[in-house]
Amino acid sequence: MERIDIGLTVNGVRHERQVEPRRLLSDFLREDLGLTGTHVGCEHGVCGACTVLLDGDSARSCLTFAVQCDGASVRTVEGLGAPGALHPLQESFRRHHALQCGFCTPGMLMTALDLLAKYPLATDDEIREGLSGNLCRCTGYVNIVNAIRETAAARGDDTG
Amino acid sequence: MKPPAFKYVAAGSVEEATARLAEYGDDARPIAGGQSLVPMMNFRLVSPAVLVDIRRIAPPDAIEEADGHVRVGALTRHRALETSPLVRERFPVLAAAMGHVAHLAIRNRGTIGGSLCHADPAAELPALAVLLDARIHTASCSGERIVEAGSFFEGALWTALEDGEIVTRIDFPLLRPGTGWGFREFARRHGDFALAGAAATVTGSAGRAVEVRIALFGVGETPVRATAAEALLTGTGLEPDAVAAAVDALRNAIDPDDDLHASAEYRRHLAGVMAERALGDAWARVGAGAGGGAA
Amino acid sequence: MSKNTPAGMAEAPRPGIVGARVQRREDPRLLTGRGSYTDDRKAAGAVHVAFCRSDRAHARIAGIDIAEAQQAPGVLGVFTAADIDAVARPIRATSNMPDYRATEFVPLARGKVRHVGEPVAAVVAENRYLAEDAAALVSVDYDPLPDAADPEAALEDRVLLHEEAGTNLIAAREFARGDVDAVMADAALVVEDRFRIRRKTPAAIENRCYLAEFDAGRQALTLHGTTQVPGLLRDALAEIFDLPGHRLRVVAPDVGGGFGAKASLYPEEVVVCALAMRLGRPVKWTGDRMEDLTATSQAFDEIVRAKLAFDADGRFLALEADVIGDIGAYSIYPWTASLEPVQVVSFLPGPYRIANYRGRVRAVATSKAPTGPYRGVGRPVSTFVMERLVDMAARRLDMDPAELRVRNLVRDEEFPYKSGSGIVWDRAGFQDCLRVTLDRFGYAERRAEQAAARERGRLVGIGIASYAELTGIGSRISAAPGMPINTGTERATIEIDSTGAVTAAFGIASHGQGLETTLAQIVAEELGVRVEDVGIVHGDSAAVAHSTGTYASRSTVLAGGAATLSARSLRAQVVKAASHLLEAAETDIEMRDGVVSVAGTDASITLRELARAFYTEMRRIPKEARESLDLSASATYDPFFGTTTAATHIAEVEIDPQTFGVAVRRYVVAEDCGRIVNPMIVDGQVHGGVAQGIGAALLEEVVHDDSGQLLTGSFVDYVVPSAAEIPDIDAAHLDTESPSTLGGYRGMGEGGTIGAPAAVANAVADALSGMDIQINELPVTPERLFRLIRPDL
Repeated sequence: MERIDIGLTVNGVRHERQVEPRRLLSDFLREDLGLTGTHVGCEHGVCGACTVLLDGDSARSCLTFAVQCDGASVRTVEGLGAPGALHPLQESFRRHHALQCGFCTPGMLMTALDLLAKYPLATDDEIREGLSGNLCRCTGYVNIVNAIRETAAARGDDTG
Repeated sequence: MKPPAFKYVAAGSVEEATARLAEYGDDARPIAGGQSLVPMMNFRLVSPAVLVDIRRIAPPDAIEEADGHVRVGALTRHRALETSPLVRERFPVLAAAMGHVAHLAIRNRGTIGGSLCHADPAAELPALAVLLDARIHTASCSGERIVEAGSFFEGALWTALEDGEIVTRIDFPLLRPGTGWGFREFARRHGDFALAGAAATVTGSAGRAVEVRIALFGVGETPVRATAAEALLTGTGLEPDAVAAAVDALRNAIDPDDDLHASAEYRRHLAGVMAERALGDAWARVGAGAGGGAA
Repeated sequence: MSKNTPAGMAEAPRPGIVGARVQRREDPRLLTGRGSYTDDRKAAGAVHVAFCRSDRAHARIAGIDIAEAQQAPGVLGVFTAADIDAVARPIRATSNMPDYRATEFVPLARGKVRHVGEPVAAVVAENRYLAEDAAALVSVDYDPLPDAADPEAALEDRVLLHEEAGTNLIAAREFARGDVDAVMADAALVVEDRFRIRRKTPAAIENRCYLAEFDAGRQALTLHGTTQVPGLLRDALAEIFDLPGHRLRVVAPDVGGGFGAKASLYPEEVVVCALAMRLGRPVKWTGDRMEDLTATSQAFDEIVRAKLAFDADGRFLALEADVIGDIGAYSIYPWTASLEPVQVVSFLPGPYRIANYRGRVRAVATSKAPTGPYRGVGRPVSTFVMERLVDMAARRLDMDPAELRVRNLVRDEEFPYKSGSGIVWDRAGFQDCLRVTLDRFGYAERRAEQAAARERGRLVGIGIASYAELTGIGSRISAAPGMPINTGTERATIEIDSTGAVTAAFGIASHGQGLETTLAQIVAEELGVRVEDVGIVHGDSAAVAHSTGTYASRSTVLAGGAATLSARSLRAQVVKAASHLLEAAETDIEMRDGVVSVAGTDASITLRELARAFYTEMRRIPKEARESLDLSASATYDPFFGTTTAATHIAEVEIDPQTFGVAVRRYVVAEDCGRIVNPMIVDGQVHGGVAQGIGAALLEEVVHDDSGQLLTGSFVDYVVPSAAEIPDIDAAHLDTESPSTLGGYRGMGEGGTIGAPAAVANAVADALSGMDIQINELPVTPERLFRLIRPDL
């Protein structure tokens, strides 16, 4: 089986690995690097659970081959806060009860980070449309929107 | 839902990419952002033996104005097209349409060359290329050629590209001053492929439409120009009767398919609604002097 | 969140911890990617399964050629029915209901396939990629059998899905009270229609995943899995593999949503266990979305003919319904195929006073994935039908639909009220829910705005739905269908260990509901410690001697009740120990925030000190006294009947008159869900349920073609709502204690899904009330509206 050398930075840590060309970035992160915070929900780009930041932009890790990430910088949910020191967006999610089962949450957070970086998010409609590529089956989205609205309003503080 | 095995080849230049594609023939597919190809591979609907990664071909993503065109490199991401100041100035309809493409994470990765080559009949970019009479530059081992957007899309997921040929650039001829635009689509869920959509430009002069273009998508095998409707509206002031006649004409001219989400009849109906609204928006922008391209 | 305490209802006492917006203890790990879902679990040497699944809806298997797959790279083996059946004893979902026919549980297809997606062969390989490669090489030779997809046609038994049953009619039941025919015949007014709600699938974002590990040295099997019911599974697997419980453990770690989909026994669970024992290596199956949409249990697939008779004043006189439930290919274990359709007729009369009722149901097997529990179970359908009938009656009477409900909802003084199907509503704020919802919504003002909008040609509609459900069901009711399991009790064990830490163990399995937090709140309040002092163990069949799991809006009532009983018992033990240690009378001992003290003195001892004294410092408590004490208490709670939960929903929609797209603009729910443990979590449950209900009303539909071929095998085609389709949701809570449960809790996890389809359907019908059309089928998609509104096209 053909394997290709790749080198990439994940959450600030450099990794050199050999991968089969067909290995999806989602599986690479979860299986090869043990970063199981990135979740796989549909593997066809609809649910958004696997969303990570790839060179700073949100991307579906299930629609990306790891081999295409040679030289890239990846940020996953593990690269935000830690349980004792949550990132402000994570704090806001917790305060607003913006997660229930938590399965879509990593993808929601990474998407929200990119939305916060790129859009004014001045209205709920804008937040809701921005989130529409991330499916959540538990929360009805109400509290996710609340959490992001509050974080957007507080921007200027560290959201990155 | 894991993709089948393939051989991976990274190409550093157009020449290298086309040489590799020629070498592997039918078994090879180019890949750039992969946003259309990878889902199909994960479902094992396609199983290319070789993927030629063209994503690092330079210059990857230039958007520039030259010779009366805006030229966009094939590896330009949807997101870059959506946010380019030049595109927003010259082709606000294109920037607006890109905002409707799926979701941010997809727009961040998906390339315009990839969208054109994938040729989904409900995709926005192919329809915009058809609307704007774009010229699609291609390259293969046999050389380069230019294909008019109107003849590029040959069927659902089927284009005029020949084996081993890739898209390198897309040129959008500048719109005339006084051109207004409209873009409307209808999807069941935000960001999904539209059940039907329409993009329109109207160039006005002295209260009359001197040029009308309407492109429809999601209503057949390929995006189509509503040429009969365009002709009916040219010279009019887009009065309600004229628009109604044009909408009737375009509904009669299209041949949508039934699928899970919409019947052919409903799509036909919806295409008319979208076109009517896009035309209304375009004409209002003519009136407001806010049309794009009116340099 | 608001507290509305209606007159005549006792205000719940509200000290301290129960009732507080306690932040969830689950969140820090789930927010930071440090959760532990089944697929996150690594087992050394694990191998992976991919299933070769039927691509036919109904066919005989003439042969299976596994030779090529066996030779594929990385493959350890390819297994078919005979391999599994050799080690797995048969099991079936039995019931003592008359006219019920159990079907065999089939791990891998035996001789024929009965739905697309049914597992036919299991391929084990070193990783999932290789397993999928090899699964594609399994060649199954099918002899086609006639189509058996349409439920009404299937009732004619021309094609049998289960030949040994002799009929496709898997279950039938009838409820009757009063002389319905006579009352119908004499009634001034009658409304009737044929309603249909199209098949749904729960679509939790985490797909199903199972990891079986067999310890050959101890001959012990452990299954980690995405399940709501670890205890139930343990008991089923014990029967299937003839293993004692101490050598069989089922663990549900963090689980990414369930909604009922993870509450049944699945073929894949049995197969990974059988193969782990056979291969001596851990065996994992990580289901993908295509498998979820084809082979996870589905729901809500009913055709209902219903008729409501009423007098000129709008008093309901009689209700009649005939239900056909399309239950798919198998009677699901352990719930049986009757679960969903029988609930439709059980709950159809809803919260209304209706003297005469006849409900008949037939559950019919078809060549589709089996139906099973899905949030709401039957009641989304019964509520849709009943609430449409109420609105149709209001229109016939030219009466406001809210007023018609006021006239017919059971009033406070009528409780307990026995419905026409025999359900007893103990007491809940039926009228109050309606009143509070109307107030919160601003009903009169919104009706005026609606009228103004209509003048301008806009299609704005307002829809109300009231319902009642039984939650926290105890043994008296759970035993009635004669299922092979007991769902009517829950057990808790609370211990103070030698470090002084409190650990409460339960058999329930939280999968998003935040039960780690809410049960800790209950334990903390009852025991007298801080919430953070209480460790919660759940989702593990080894935690308590018997449990089923989390489903059916039961865990707060049942596990909360067990927590209350065991905490009280443990507290009494602590008091006894403290009376020795502090040399005070038991009646003078107090316990607050984990500190035990003597009332009115400075004498106190922490739990840590008390535990050290009890377990380690053997001279502190005399031997005889120590042996009569135990810093551990277990209790089982049985609510016996259960209790009533009720709500009213109001939706406001606007329909684009040209595209027929429906947008939900406003949504208000007032719910009587009893004493609230954590209002933040309760609000979240309402929001999530309503969103699923809106999906059921407008978007979601499992579609098969006439032959039974599934057309919705992806999230592109099975459309669940995104944030853009769901409005802000205002949830109000009446917060009145249940008279029937310990602690006054009522179950509330499913209500959102029960009320929303009906409220949205009524709002759509209201928006289109100027047209001569009926809204009787869900989801009411733009395509369906187009066909209704433009029949000329």
